[in-house]
Amino acid sequence: MRRKHFVMPSDDDENEINLTPMLDVVFIMLIFFIVTASFVKEAGLDVNRPDAPTSEVQSEETNILVQIRENDEIWIDRRLIDPRALRPNIERLHAENPEGSVVIQAAAKSSNKSLVTVMDAARQAGVYDISIAE
Amino acid sequence: MRDTSAYTDEQDDNEINLTPMLDVVFIMLIFFIVTATFIKEAGIDVERPEALTREQMADAAILVAISPADEIWIDKQVTKPGDVRTELEKLHAENPKGSLVIQADEQSTHETLVVVMEAAKQAGIPNVAISAVED
Repeated sequence: MRRKHFVMPSDDDENEINLTPMLDVVFIMLIFFIVTASFVKEAGLDVNRPDAPTSEVQSEETNILVQIRENDEIWIDRRLIDPRALRPNIERLHAENPEGSVVIQAAAKSSNKSLVTVMDAARQAGVYDISIAE
Repeated sequence: MRDTSAYTDEQDDNEINLTPMLDVVFIMLIFFIVTATFIKEAGIDVERPEALTREQMADAAILVAISPADEIWIDKQVTKPGDVRTELEKLHAENPKGSLVIQADEQSTHETLVVVMEAAKQAGIPNVAISAVED
């Protein structure tokens, strides 16, 4: 008898859960994640490093070798290449040897601008397999 | 008669159905939790080289900047070339799937870039990209 009296009103109470505290927590979490959401847009060029053992074995002749000298001159096949002529040159070499990847040998003091120029030209020529010799 | 009907109407209005709003709020919450990527920014603004064939780096998590004077910036601090590997390992452990984007200044040298790339390789970071902008 005592039990019945006790259970009935508490059962009634539980039928309506108070959602307000949960809503508070959820809203605070929502605001936190909205504020911390940083949509950083970073565009760039992928650097392909020869990790796979097969790519290490590639002989030098199959690759298109581009050299960047200390004074940012770009040399292919012992010829000085103008940055604007890079793309046609790489295209021609790529057509001769479609399997080959572009290997860039840059001097330690050369600027990264010329490196990105060469990488961009190679990608424009359709060679996405670019590695940087270290 | 009219009185009573007005009364019941009011009773109904007093209890707003929160369920649809809760659904929306939860979906927004889950969206923001899932998309939350805590990117470690480098801390300086550099003059990025231009490239036509650049791609959006979707999973960039670590940004390393190289200043024109060849200083390496990681997580808003100048880092010595010898410490780059440890720093990268630490950041890589926080977000193992994220890739590294190197923001190299146009005037920075290849030497420094190689230091960062070598450190990234040793730290086991799977993807490395060089930041570029449009012409």
